[in-house]
Amino acid sequence: MGLLGASSRGNEALNFRAIIDASQESGVEHGALLLEFTEAAVRRSDTLGEARAHLAQAAGPDATVDAAGVIANFQRMVRIADGTGIPVDGYILERTGELPQQLGLTEYRSAANTFAAT
Amino acid sequence: MPFDYAGCKWPIPERVRAAHRRSWERLAAPGFWWTGAERVAIAAECRRAAALEGGSGSDLLPKAAVHAVQKIVVDNANLSREWCDEVCAAEGMSDARYIELLGVLVHIFSIDELHRALGLPLEPLPEPLAGQPSRRRPTGARRIAGWLPITPPDALDPEDADLYDNAPVAANVLTALSLVPANLPWLADLSHAHYASYVEMREMGKVREISRAQQELIAARVSVLNECFY
Repeated sequence: MGLLGASSRGNEALNFRAIIDASQESGVEHGALLLEFTEAAVRRSDTLGEARAHLAQAAGPDATVDAAGVIANFQRMVRIADGTGIPVDGYILERTGELPQQLGLTEYRSAANTFAAT
Repeated sequence: MPFDYAGCKWPIPERVRAAHRRSWERLAAPGFWWTGAERVAIAAECRRAAALEGGSGSDLLPKAAVHAVQKIVVDNANLSREWCDEVCAAEGMSDARYIELLGVLVHIFSIDELHRALGLPLEPLPEPLAGQPSRRRPTGARRIAGWLPITPPDALDPEDADLYDNAPVAANVLTALSLVPANLPWLADLSHAHYASYVEMREMGKVREISRAQQELIAARVSVLNECFY
């Protein structure tokens, strides 16, 4: 959600449906390869090496390292949010409007931390 | 020297290497509520959980602490206020001990996740430093949002005055770990190393080798894969 709030500023071309359905075109350069790498890393998939190699070949090793950094960062941030039960900040809820519901994010158990608090 | 990445085929930036070394120093030192040895034991449990190894590798930690580490690492989508209250009330635990445990866990997990994503071996954990935890609880800590007390920007003790860089307000995810103030500089340090500094986050221009849109796509996907609403 916070991520969607950040993403929704200046990224109008980004197709948010790609974050729930990786088969969709995200509108972001190398988006499919980034999503493939992200999913393989988070799910500890056997295809991780292959996904990493695909990304490195297309975007380069520096970009691959930075992509790994973002994955690492948000594997941390989601656990901070989940481990403390914090609600989404009001300004982010306003900015994202109906998008979370449209994407099905409000079905997550942790959504109760926000909607029980507001 | 830890994190020298000798023989590593990936171009690990110096900002990342340096932040990882500082993380190891932070990990090894006594904290607010855990000793250095206990903090390193929390990190070891984090690695056991990530490797899906059952049981505990240490007798230094309360059972509830080991359970909390395992749950947060592998089942974070199913945490609840009731669960958190139970952990904090368990023998050997408290709300502040839980927050420090969470702070240690998430930072070590993040560094390890970067290594796993790049197919790199995990860095051996540091030798703990001697000494006792400070047991300092911020006097202005109170429950505002979420399950646990936080220390908001308008209630900082003098020794924590620069905790939020003088910002009058802070996002919930930045205040979430503030019951143990030492968590926050660590959070900022690794954010800058792995993703973007707090100043860079407010800019939509490219701050790394990948664009902000590429960063946010990855970030949002990680959040969805974890079923994290925040």
